[in-house]
Order: sequence, then C-alpha cells, then structure tokens
Amino acid sequence: MKYDVTVIGSGPGGYVAAIRCAQLGLKTAIIEKYNVLGGTCLNVGCIPSKALLDSSEHFHNAAHTFKEHGIDLENLQVNIQQMITRKAGVVKSNNDGIAFLMKKNKIDTYYGLGSFVNKNTIRITDAEGKEQQIETDKTIIATGSKPVALPFLPVDKKRIITSTEALTLTEVPKNLIVIGGGVIGLELGSVYARLGAKVQVVEYVDAIIPTMDRALGKELQRVLKKTLGFEFFFNHKVTGATNEGEVVKVTAENPKGETVTFEGDYVLVSVGRKPYTEGLGLENAGVQMGERGMIAVNDHLETNVPGIYAIGDVVRGAMLAHKAEEEGVLVAEQIVGQKPHINYNLIPGVVYTWPEVAGVGYTEEQLKEQGRAYKSGSFPFKASGRAKASMDTDGFVKVLADKNTDEILGVHMIGPRAADMIAEAVVAMEFRASAEDIARMSHAHPTYTEAMKEACLAATENRALHI
Amino acid sequence: MSLEVKVPVVGESITEVTIAQWLKKDGDRVEMDEVIAELESDKATFELPAEAAGILRIVAQEGETINVGAVICTIDQDGAATAPSAPAAKTEAAPAQAAAQPAAATATVVGETVEMKVPTVGESISEVTIASWLKKDGDFVQMDEVIAELESDKATFELPAEAAGTLQIVAQQGDTVEIGGLLCRITPGGAGSAVANAEANAKQEAATQQVAQAVSAPSGAQTYASGTPSPAAGKILAERGINAADVQGSGRDGRITKEDAQNAQTRPAAQAASAPAAKQEPSAPATTGDRNQRREKMSSLRRTVARRLVTVKNETAMLTTFNEVDMKPIMDIRAKYKDKFKEVHEVGLGFMSFFTKACTVALKEWPAVNAQIDGNDMIFSDFVDVSIAVSSPKGLVVPVIRNAEQLTLDGIEKEVVRLAKKARDGKLSIEEMTGGTFTITNGGVFGSMMSTPIINAPQSAILGMHNIVQRPVAINGQVEIRPMMYLALSYDHRIIDGRESVSFLVRVKELLEDPMRLLLGV
Repeated sequence: MKYDVTVIGSGPGGYVAAIRCAQLGLKTAIIEKYNVLGGTCLNVGCIPSKALLDSSEHFHNAAHTFKEHGIDLENLQVNIQQMITRKAGVVKSNNDGIAFLMKKNKIDTYYGLGSFVNKNTIRITDAEGKEQQIETDKTIIATGSKPVALPFLPVDKKRIITSTEALTLTEVPKNLIVIGGGVIGLELGSVYARLGAKVQVVEYVDAIIPTMDRALGKELQRVLKKTLGFEFFFNHKVTGATNEGEVVKVTAENPKGETVTFEGDYVLVSVGRKPYTEGLGLENAGVQMGERGMIAVNDHLETNVPGIYAIGDVVRGAMLAHKAEEEGVLVAEQIVGQKPHINYNLIPGVVYTWPEVAGVGYTEEQLKEQGRAYKSGSFPFKASGRAKASMDTDGFVKVLADKNTDEILGVHMIGPRAADMIAEAVVAMEFRASAEDIARMSHAHPTYTEAMKEACLAATENRALHI
Repeated sequence: MSLEVKVPVVGESITEVTIAQWLKKDGDRVEMDEVIAELESDKATFELPAEAAGILRIVAQEGETINVGAVICTIDQDGAATAPSAPAAKTEAAPAQAAAQPAAATATVVGETVEMKVPTVGESISEVTIASWLKKDGDFVQMDEVIAELESDKATFELPAEAAGTLQIVAQQGDTVEIGGLLCRITPGGAGSAVANAEANAKQEAATQQVAQAVSAPSGAQTYASGTPSPAAGKILAERGINAADVQGSGRDGRITKEDAQNAQTRPAAQAASAPAAKQEPSAPATTGDRNQRREKMSSLRRTVARRLVTVKNETAMLTTFNEVDMKPIMDIRAKYKDKFKEVHEVGLGFMSFFTKACTVALKEWPAVNAQIDGNDMIFSDFVDVSIAVSSPKGLVVPVIRNAEQLTLDGIEKEVVRLAKKARDGKLSIEEMTGGTFTITNGGVFGSMMSTPIINAPQSAILGMHNIVQRPVAINGQVEIRPMMYLALSYDHRIIDGRESVSFLVRVKELLEDPMRLLLGV
C-alpha cells in the first residue's frame, strides 16, 4: 500500500494527527504497537487514572463528607476489583471510540511495531512476528514516552511499580511510598490515600510539582497533608529499594546526609518519563536524535529528514496529551501547506488531584527572573459561595498581570474543577486580554469560575468584591 | 488631568500621517482649538487643533510618521472645570472630535440641544456631501454612535453623534454642506425633555454616561494588544504571507479578528523589498573613492505614487502607441503671436494649450480614450478633465484642468500656470488632484526623446509629449529639416481598442500639424 501520511503511534498525538490528515484529504495509515488504540494516555495514563481518581474521590467523600451533607452510610467498603473493572470498562469504551473514529475517517489501522526500512518505507511487525511493508510519502512519529526507571532501583512490577502497574493493583496498599512529587505520583498517591493507604512522598528537590507556580505546590502540599494525611520528605535522595516479600524498604539520604529508611508494602516510582523510540529504526531513515533521547525537530516539528515529523512526548516540550494533540493538528495542516501556529506558553498544565491544580502562562518565579513588572491578584475558594456550598473551600485562583498594560501573563489555580476552569484563562490569554477584561465579563453565580473573575478584580485595582 | 490627543481619522483611504511641524513647543501652554501642529498625509496637509487648553506634552516628534489613532501628544489640563470633558474626549477618534468644541460642549452645556456641524477634516477639504443618514429623523442616538456617512472628493468618513439624544436632521442626504455647516441637532433625553428643572437629573445622567464611555473606551483605543491576531486570524495571515502589523484590527482594542484576516489585502511587494537592502554588507574594500550612502525616508506622497504605479502596471493591460508630429506650424504661430497673446491675455502662449485643445477634440471623437473601467462597467465622460503631470518638490503630482473642452487657449494656459504654481508651493488640494479623465505628461521638458508613460489610474490613457528635435523629414518629396516631436499614447487595452488609440493619436497629430483645424472644427 502507498499512503500520503503514516502515523506511528496512536496516542492522543498520533490519532488526532491521523484524523486531521484524513480530514484534509490525505490517504492516511496509523500503526499501533499494542493491540488497542489510544496510547499511554488512554490505556495507562490520563484516562484510567482519572477513572480511579473519580472512583476514589467518591469513596473519600462518602467516608468523610457525606455525613456533613446529611447522608449517613454504614459499612462503607471499597471493592477494588469492581473499581478496577469499571476503570477497564472506561478504557475499553474509549479504545472502541478511537477505533470507530479511524474507521469513520477511512484511516487504515495496522497493529504491530512500525519501523523505518528507509525514509519512505515502513515495516510493520505484528505480535506473531508477521511482517508487511507500506510505502508512505510523509511520516509522523508519535511514539510517546515511558516511565523513567532509576538505575539503582530496578522496577520489579510487583512491589516496586510504575504508574502502569499502579493502575491495576488488586489490593489497596497499606503504606504506599511514592518516589517523586510530580503529577503522576501525586495523582496515584491520592487515589490510594483516599482508599485508605498511608502515602509517603519522597522527593529529591524541595517542593512538589516544582515546575508549576510555587504557590500551587505549597497549597497542594498543605491540602494533601490535611485531608489525605500525605507525608512529604523533601530534599531526599533515594538510593535504593529492596523487595522483601510483603514489604519493600526504600533507602534515602536526607538533607543532612544521613541514610534513612522507609518501609511500605508498595513503592511507586514516578520520577518522570522519557521519550520512547525503541524499535523505530530511525537510523534506517537517517533521523537524528536530540538531547535526552528526544527526536530533534525544527519549529515545524520536522526532523532532519524532510517529510518525517515527530510530535508529542518524543519531542521537546511538556509531556501533555493536549500538547501532543495540538502538535498533531499542526503537522497535519502543515503537510497540506497551511501555516498553523502553537503558542507553547499557553498550553495549560493540570494535576488531577483534589483540589485540582492548573496553570497557564508565566509563573511568578519566571516573571521575577525576567525582571518583568507585574502585579498579582488572588482569590481564595473559601470566600466563594459555590465552594462553600460544595465544601470545596481549599485553594485559590491567582492572576498575574503586567503592571502597566494589565495584560494577563499567567493564571495559576488550585481548587475544585480547576482543570476545566483554566480554559477561560487560555482563551483570555490567546486574545491578550487584560485582567480587567475578565473582571468585566459576567460570570454565572454561583460558580467556581467566579473566583477567576474575583482574582482578576483583585489584580486590576485590588477591587475584589467578595472578600 | 491629562488628555491624549490622537491622530484624527481623516478618511478611510488615509492610514498614517507625518508630523510636518510642531507649531508649539513641548511644555507650552495651548488654548483649546488653537492649531498646534501641521500634519501631512499622502494627499494633503492639515492642521491639528488642540482638543483642550493646558500644557502641551509632545509624544510624536517632527518628521515621524504615525498611524491614524495613535497618540500624538498629551495635554495636561488645568482646572477641575474642564476635567469632566477629558474622558469623553479621550474616547474620540473621529474627525468631529478633532475639532474639539463638541467634547467641551457636551460637558458644559449638558441638557441643551447640541448642534452638530461639519467637522474640519483638513484645510484642503472645504465641503462634504452627505452620503447617507444611518439614523432617521427623530431616532434616539447614543453618543459616539455613527449616525451618518460623509463623503469628500476622495474619502468617505463617518459622523459619530456628539451626544446622546433625539436626532433632528437638518441637512438631507445628498446635500453638499460646507465645513462648519449645520448637519443636525441632538436633543438630550427624549425630545425636548431637557427642561430647566430637570437639569440636575440630566447632568447626573450625562455624567454617568461619560463615565461609562470612558470605561468602555478601550474598544477604539490603541493598547498593547492592538494588532494582535486571534489564533484563527494568525493562521490565516501566516498562510497569506501578510504581516499582522499591516492589518487594521477591528476587534476590541484593535485586535485582529478572523474576519479582518480574511479581508486583509496583501501589500505590494515594493514595501517588502526594501527590508533586505538594509542588510547589504559593504563590498570588498578594493574600490577607492567616496563610497558614502544616504538613506532617506520616502515621503508619504512618493510612497503612495510608487504603490499606485505598480498597481496600475499589474492591473491594467497597458500598451503604448507612437506617432510623430511636425511642430513647425505651432512654432510659427507662437513666433508670430507670442507677444500679442501675452499682451491680450497676460499669459504666455505655450505648447500645452495646443496639445490640451487637440486632445479634447480627439477625445470627443474617440470617447473610449476618455473613459474608465469601474468593475464590470465602463464610465464614459462627456467632458474632458485633463490631468497635467507636474514634477513638484515633493514628487509627481497631477492637478486637473476641469472642462478643458470648453476652455480657450488662454484659459488653458492660465489654469496650467495656476496649478503649476500651487504644485510648486505644495498647496494643491485633494480636489484639485482628483477626478481627471485623461492625462498629459511632458517628459520633453527634461529632454526625453521617447518614453512609455504609465496610465494615471483610474483613467485609461495618457499622452506623453517629448522633446523637439530638428530632423530631416520628407515633405512633398523633398527633404526638409523640421522640428519634430514623438508622441506616445499609453492606454488600457481592456477598454481602448487599437483602432481607437491609434486613430486618436493620429487625430491629435493632424490637429497639431494644422492648427487651423482646431478653429474650423474639422
């Protein structure tokens, strides 16, 4: 077969790229190594973790807040099997959804490992080892990433696990040790903490979610400690872990240089993810690699080989599903000669803990570093009527705006539905709105998004109304 | 209270002005309506009156070219009395407000009927025509709402209401009104409701309104976000190779909307081409002698002419036909009657009158040469307005001799002298340069032997005169030496056929070689 475009990898970057290519009239193929479409995000990432996060959140609420709402429950129990089954169902229905989208858009789907024979020929090796080759004019590499393992801490997938295994545990850990205070560790830590696990987070640097605005990490740390009993160990350098059957021991060096030991029944290693390009045969096509295992691309996401593009986690930038999606669309449109553009500064970052954390634009730390004159306005959810009604009073919205022009430069929020609320900030910033612009737009009352308006009022002339 | 004075909107065809001269210095005290600067556009020069009294703070310096709507200076107003007018004045970009008195009027005579007059657009425009009333007599209008469209010779502009209230139309659609003439009246509130005992209320209302105006003002103002394309607009502009800076944004604060991007025109390449030149590296130092280069800003007039010339070349099917004319008969006439003519008409007898006259006669016979293309229509004129190309200190200008077909030779000569003098002094108005139906250019005065002139759009033809050279020609089988001139006619082949163009030129030649025909009409 001969295709205009072949996409290798069917994650949110890959399948979106394929759909957009097909929409633009290109004859498109998509190759997936596993036997289901959707990639990490759908199968072992965002979707299943969100499914478990929602389930565990229901349980947590039932156990802790229903009483106050006036709902009494007795003999509350977690059926972890059912929870995992439901999660699998959610994943399955999304898998099917993507398969349907491929069919609807007349995209040929190949299951098997795709690798370059040369620039225009891709070999597909299926699970049984059967091979076939397709010809393609252009190729989009969207093979994503996989969890980073620490060399001195081999993952055994039983007690020492990654996010992938954490999504299919058959029991609730009693004491879960999370190595790494990033998004994945905190989300999965939240899941099991809500279900009753004692969670200890061991982090190398001095804060959780360190790349986001510092105020968010501080507040999230406070809330996780308060509501879920998280324990945090900062400036701890993990040196090893041993599986001793029922328990795992983790050794680390504390800030004073002393060796400390943590004991738990599971250890979740979530220290980051790395680009995944194994078996792609990039050398056969002459594609050059960049730093840290990433595929080097130019501004148009084209590799050094004309006609071969790479998107998502395999290239520079944040490893986020929605970033990959935008890049998929960008490449597809470029192939047909359009000139789309991505504003990388306006891709929101999100953490699905509860309260949710979301941020877009410059952090306060970045603005300080740039020496930019800015002003800040924030509004706490404890002053929000809607948040009070739902007992979600933790968190705040913080708006950073240019001191002179009032242009919104960054919005950082932690609170109920922050992941959804951040969209307002993205829209505003894409149009270079000022804080007062948002402050002057009607927001439905009572809603969580009012906090955004109030924070903008606070940033404008410190004229927040409800505080 | 500091008031920002912005470049007034002069007409939709003008997007930027150059500050020719500040008549007041930074820090000077200026009175309201006092002329503080002279601005130049590519078409005309006009004056900038102060919008309020106060201390002048100059923002844009002499020689700078700034966009319409940009801040040109600020005026630090004195006294609380004038303060209320500031927010209102600040919001105004339209020419009406440039004249300033309305802003103050609304602030000080709240509750009274506001008389709206034709705003001063620039010294070259003395009257406007009311193209259309957008509101009906008796309608309630909001302040700053566009209520009518006015037309001057070249540009159309909008008339915003100077107050909120009931509209009473005075000048009707189609009327031509002089600058300062009464257009309409606006009675605040409902019709005639502004009685004395309600004055306090009205005042309050007006004040609220003005505050509201000030707050919503950013829609018209220039801000950091002006010219920012929306994500969809940005993509469209990138694909069409248009720089966002070249697009006038219609969105809030001048943001470029998707629609703006779709409607944006690609700028002629001439402008882009100038950029790379700046990067030229000095060549190897092998050459000796002075290698100094100068870089000068193009005047807006020159830029405009340059753009038009390229546009015409690209958009017409231009062709040039030549002929030659024996100038001896005219030269003989001139030699014979020069002094007498001067004595009677107080103007010299030049060649221009003969050529103009000959052209008007020939144009009557070949009306297509005097016609224009307008979309899918052709416009034929039964009169002949001859544009005369004149080289002025600022660049090429083409003033028009109106109804040249009715003028006598001395009438034409007088017009030529009058217009040439104005061109030299830079005093030509927009009207005096627009509306010609045919152009005559005389490259011969500089010694040109033969050339292919470019049509003066939207006209369809141009006659090029050249220098007169003594050459041997065959006259009745004899070689004679005669003063000969080549004539060129460049024409738009889309509307003028070869038969018409050539016949026209031959006719001009006949009339010039035997001027008696002009008199006899044969």
